[in-house]
This record gives sequence, structure tokens and C-alpha cells, in this order.
Amino acid sequence: MTRKEYLQHQKTQRHRRVVGVLPALFPREILWAADAVPAEVWDPPLAVSRAGAHLQPYICSVVRQSLELILSGGADLVDALLFPHTCDSIQNMASVVHDYCGLDTPCLFFYHPKAPYTQHSRVYYRDQLQALLERLQELFGPAEPGALTAAVEMGQRMYRRLGEMYARRAGGNLGLGNEEFYRVLRRGEYLHPEDFIAELDQVLGRPAPAAAPPGPAVILSGVVPNPPGLLSQLDRLGVAVAHDDLLMGSRRIPSRLPAEGDPLDRLTESYFSLPPCSTRSNSLARRAAYLGQLVEQTGAAGVIFLIVKFCEPEYFDLPNLVEELKARGVPSLVLDTETNQPYDGRMATRVEAFIEMIG
Amino acid sequence: MSFAAAMRYRFMKDLGAPALMAARRAMRKKRPSRPDPLFGPPLKSLARLKEIMMRHYFLARYAPGAHPVAWVTSGAPVELLRVFGFYTFYPENHGAMCGAAHMAPELCQAAEDHGYSQDLCSYARCDLGHYFTGKSPAGQLPKPDLLFASNNICQTVTYWFKALAHYYDIPLILFDTPFNFDQITESDLRYMAGQLEEMITPLQRISGVKFDQAKFLASLELGRATSETWGQVLQTMRHRPSPLTIFDTFFHMAPVVSLRGLPVAYDYYQTLLEELRDRVARGIGAVKLERKRLMWDNIAMWYKVRDFSNLFAEHGMNFVVATYTNAWAETIQYLDPDDPFRSLAKTYSLVILNNNLDHRLSLMERLIADYQVDGLVIHSARSCKPYSVGQYDLKRLLMERLAIPSVVIEADITDSRAYSEEQTRTRLEAFFEALED
Ligand code: SF4
Ligand code: SF4
Repeated sequence: MTRKEYLQHQKTQRHRRVVGVLPALFPREILWAADAVPAEVWDPPLAVSRAGAHLQPYICSVVRQSLELILSGGADLVDALLFPHTCDSIQNMASVVHDYCGLDTPCLFFYHPKAPYTQHSRVYYRDQLQALLERLQELFGPAEPGALTAAVEMGQRMYRRLGEMYARRAGGNLGLGNEEFYRVLRRGEYLHPEDFIAELDQVLGRPAPAAAPPGPAVILSGVVPNPPGLLSQLDRLGVAVAHDDLLMGSRRIPSRLPAEGDPLDRLTESYFSLPPCSTRSNSLARRAAYLGQLVEQTGAAGVIFLIVKFCEPEYFDLPNLVEELKARGVPSLVLDTETNQPYDGRMATRVEAFIEMIG
Repeated sequence: MSFAAAMRYRFMKDLGAPALMAARRAMRKKRPSRPDPLFGPPLKSLARLKEIMMRHYFLARYAPGAHPVAWVTSGAPVELLRVFGFYTFYPENHGAMCGAAHMAPELCQAAEDHGYSQDLCSYARCDLGHYFTGKSPAGQLPKPDLLFASNNICQTVTYWFKALAHYYDIPLILFDTPFNFDQITESDLRYMAGQLEEMITPLQRISGVKFDQAKFLASLELGRATSETWGQVLQTMRHRPSPLTIFDTFFHMAPVVSLRGLPVAYDYYQTLLEELRDRVARGIGAVKLERKRLMWDNIAMWYKVRDFSNLFAEHGMNFVVATYTNAWAETIQYLDPDDPFRSLAKTYSLVILNNNLDHRLSLMERLIADYQVDGLVIHSARSCKPYSVGQYDLKRLLMERLAIPSVVIEADITDSRAYSEEQTRTRLEAFFEALED
């Protein structure tokens, strides 16, 4: 089933709502509690034409392609759009869509507090969760009693499995190539958690591979694992991505999953345990320490930064992260890309040279 | 704070700065000004403005050790810092200065050489370039003890200031202002007011000065009066002919941005306002032949202010309003001394760049009517995504609703490498023609 067919099936057969969600950090559990399936939009494979009338060419491809999708009827399937407050570009694009594109689709916004955090940040975050749930209930009707607690628990089951998948990959005993790993992971961008968890269980149930890939291991940092050509090249070179610091990947997996308590408190606690991220404005020291720790724990020989061109939050952190890694003797490679750009020979040559250097 | 530094600062404030100003005045007297064919007589207040800003930058060199020094973003609630005696410095104002002095490409390049992308905000690149090279058109900048930022203008400042916090190894205080997608909520206000109250403890610790409620209220009142007077200054431009051009206001706004909450800024605008009212009464226009009245959208192109000023005046066109300069007067009516923290939160979070585009459209429509605007120049600034994303729609909607002709100039605020003279000239020629139709 394609993504579109799946979402249509969710609507017609499961009578669920579908909410199109822009990157990056948002409380999936709140949507699940409202019996809605989030369909995340990161890098739809579309050439920008209509969006060019609204956005300057110096806006990142994630935003330009997402708007293209919305304008070319991609929003027809969804019952609402959710815009988390990720960066200036998404912020204004949300306003363009809400105020100027003449869509009937309701637009929801989710502001998450920015670091450095204060004692008020947690209270505010919890308020935002509550407000989003209320707004969804206004749109889609009241949630079932106990739905929120059930959603939080489902989320925890999903995060535990994702954690295990990452840990087993880091240990070299997962048995998924890079391309396959991210294909599985990215299905979580639109599958209902019940289905996603079932798929994760299948993957985790496979026997461990006889041997780890022969090449050096690397860490991927950036926003999305795109262009996909990079992953297949790494597979061909026998290089394992041992871990990632990707915004769509490990930066969305909390380290604390409180076992009990008020569901909104549990979500708040989890949110503040997420790994450091440029879009939450976490300090450079924390980001550098986190990356350093990933390298150390996995024994990776280098880091590949996969930067989306024009991405301000990532661009600003990059020089310091590269420097810090260098100080630790860890080589890194920076690839400045547009999502869905063809994986050209020049990029492949740079990657190959980097792998040779660290191998 | 050190005794020696405090004495040196005092000496420079009482003797050094006045001597410098006197020398400037003497130099100026020697240069008689000739009448300009395009513009009205220069404003007398301009000399005072230059003195104020020169003195501010001059004394900034001696401030470290004598005062706690804070680097502040242009939209941060500086009134709170005044209570603790911080010497405040504005990297964005410095960035504008780098642009005007044509130093931005060199400083931006220095930042790029250290890995910062050319696609980042050029105020930030100028500032980081200064950090790496020590170069600045202002000579020496005061080393900060604190970074004080608010993301009510952009998220960029949070990334930029956290890089500074890392390099200087000093604390960063952020005033996080949720973007107003729809409507400001009670929870938003509680969050923001709570942050402001919580800042008092670290500000006391860093400055060594205790919070004083009476001083805070006095600083708020001064800030309010300054912004209000600045608003009145801008309102004089509603008259035909306007006594100011927007290019003048790009420079006259420096005190309301950088010295808000200090008597010097308020006093300056009182003097300026008086002079402008006198001009209005006598019918003196800033541009001798004001045939068409224009609006400017977005931050200035600092390296082009003089050229543009001449070019438009030659065509009998005067910019009489800008969304940019208006930002420091726009929300001041929300400030309420009986509810200082909440009202400060409201004042600072409802500014143009922290507000949705519908708000911006209404604001522009109002300004176009109030200032009798005939045309609109939209600067699509590569540096500034929050100001620029949405401009294409604003252009279209203003044309549809008000039949206002407009032109988009793709350029940058300080980095002239992102500016194409040829492309701009072609677009402007078409715009001039459309205005004459
Ligand atoms: S890639 Fe960067 S700039 Fe683009 S939407 Fe994501 S965070 Fe924002
Ligand atoms: S120019 Fe724009 S992006 Fe840069 S600091 Fe100012 S508001 Fe922020």
C-alpha cells in the first residue's frame, strides 16, 4: 500500500482523521488521542512551481516542497494541518498557508519553548499540549475516555522499540542496511502506531546478522536522510551508519519515559529529555557533547553532516560542531544538499574520498 | 566591577567624551553646507544624533569593568536591564553600521572562512566576523558579560547569540516569545511574564545590583515615553510634504533601538519632534519635489541608503513610511505600569515580526491610508527570513485590495555581494513607469 492509499484506508476503513504535519517536533500522542493519524511532510518528491509564487528561492527545500505539496492538492486528503514552530521559515510558511492560500483545511500551530529553558518552560509546554488536544477535540469531537493515557503508553512502546533498534544497529546486530533502516524508520512518519509497532517488532524479531559490514562506521547528523542515494552508496561501500543525530531520527526519541502519572506530565517529562537539537536552540556545548558521546559509544570513525541548504538552525551550529569533533580527533564531512536533489557524481566522489580517509 | 575601570570610565565620560564632541563640532563649523538641489535643508538635530551615537560607541570601549556589559537584540525588553546598570550594546546596530560603512562583505567573509554559511543573516555574520578579526567600523567593541536576546524578531538571534555565548563563555538570557499565529493566549502571557520575573535573579547575580521596583517602573516609563515620541516623530511624515524621508529615519531610529530606557534617547526625540513640527508648520519638505509618496518594507539596505535616497528624490519620490521603523512604536500602547511584567510581555511579543501575516497586511493597509502612500518598495532580504517570507503574498494582496503598485528588490541588508545593481535598476525603472501611469 502506498502512503496515500494507507492514509485513505485509515480514513475510510478505520474512520480516523488524518493530520498533515510539518517538521519537526510535535506531540504525536495528542493526535493519536484524538484518533487522528499524523502524516508528516518532510521532503515530498516534487519540483517547486506553485510554491515559487509564495516563497523566495533562498528558502530551504523542505519548506518549498512542503508548500508545493499543499498547493498541488496534497492537503485534500487531510482533515487539518499542523505546523510546529520549528524555525523562521516554517513559522512564516504556516502564516502564508493559514492567511493567504485560501485553503479550507483548518491550520493548527504548536509552539514549543526554546532553550535556555526556565522553570516556566515546562508549565508552558504542558499548557500547549492541553491546548492542542482541546483544539483537536473542537475539530474532531471528544476523545474517548482514557485515550490520552493509552496514546502515551503506545508512544512509549514505540520509543522503546526505536531505542532498541538504534541500540542494536549501534552494536552491529540489527541486520538492516542503511537504506532499509531509514525506510523502516520513515514509515513511522505516517503509519498509525499500532501498525508501526507491529513492523518494528518484525524487524526486531529477525535473527542477528552473522557479520557486521566490513567498512568503518559513521554517524549521520542533519535534518533528513535525503538524498537517499547517500544511504545506498554507504551500503555499497560497506559502511554502517552506527547512529544518527537527525532531526527526523534520534533527535525525536526521548530518553525518559515516565511509567506513571498524569499523561500530559509524562509527555512533558519526555519532551524535556529529548537529545539536544538546533531547532530547540539547545546550547552548542550540549550538542557537541551529545555528538561526541555517540561517536564514542559506537566507535564511529567519522561524522557526515547532511545539511539542507538554507537551513539556518543547522548552519549556525555546524562550525562549532565540526571544530569540537576535530578537537576530539573525529573527522567530518559536510554535504550541503537540497532534498530530493539527484545524488550526483561529485557528491558521491566526496563521500567515497571521506570513507577512504577514515577507513 | 573594578575601581580603576570605574574611574577611567568616569574620566572618559566627564572629560574624554565632551572633548571629542567639542573637536567634532569645531571640525563641522569649518565645513559650510551648500543647498542641495534635491533635498530640503539638513536637520539641525542630525548633529546631535551623531554626537549621541558617537559618544555611546566611544564610552562603550571603557564600559567593561566599570559597568556590566550586555549585548542585546533589538527587540529585547531592555528596560529591565536598565535597573541593573548594564551598558548595552546592539550587535544588530553594529551590523547596520558595518553595512553602511561598506565593511560587511569583508566581515561576512571572515565568518564564512570559519564555516558560517553565506546564506545566514548578515548581521550575524558581521558580528561573528568581528569576533574572528577584531575589525569594526566602530573601533573596539565592549566585551560582553551577558547576552540578552528575544526571539520576538526571529529565531536567528537565538542561534547567533548561543554561538556568542559559546565563544565568549558567558551567560545567555533568552526572552522566549511564542509566535502569534492566531491570538495571544493567557498561557502565552503567563509564560512570558514568568520568564521576565525569573530573569531578575540572574541579572542581580551578574550585575551585582539589587532589583529596585521603583527604578524599574521609571525605566519602563522612560522607554514608553521614548517609543511614543518616536511614534510622533514618524507621524509628522503624514504631512505633505513630509519633513523627513525614511532614509533619514533609518539613522534617527538608532536611539530608540539602542538607548531606549535612558533619558538621552527621550530628550533627543523631543528635540527632533520640535524641529519637525516647525518644518511642518513652515511647509519644508525633506525632498524638495515630493510628487509621489512611498512605503518601504523590510530592513534597510544599509550600503545603498545614500544612492537610493538620491535616486528616488530625483524622481520626485519620497518614502514616508516603513514597516521597519514603525516597529519601535507599534505596540507601546500595551505598556501598563500597573501590570509591568505582563504588559511588557504583550508589548514585546506583538511586534510585527512576531505576528502573523494577516496582522502585517492590516498594518500595511492602515499605514498606506494614514500616510497617503502611492507605491510600495519591498526589499526581499536574503538575510531575514521572518521579514521576507510572505512578502510575495503581501505584494499581491495589496495590489488586489488597494491597487497599490509595488516592486520587489532581491537584495540583502548589509552584504552587498547579494545585490545586483543591474537587476534592481531594471525593476525600479518599470516601477517608476507604473507609478506615473
Ligand atoms: S530544513 Fe531547517 S530551515 Fe528548513 S524547515 Fe527544517 S529546520 Fe527549518
Ligand atoms: S535581520 Fe532578520 S534574521 Fe537577522 S537578526 Fe534581524 S530579524 Fe533576525
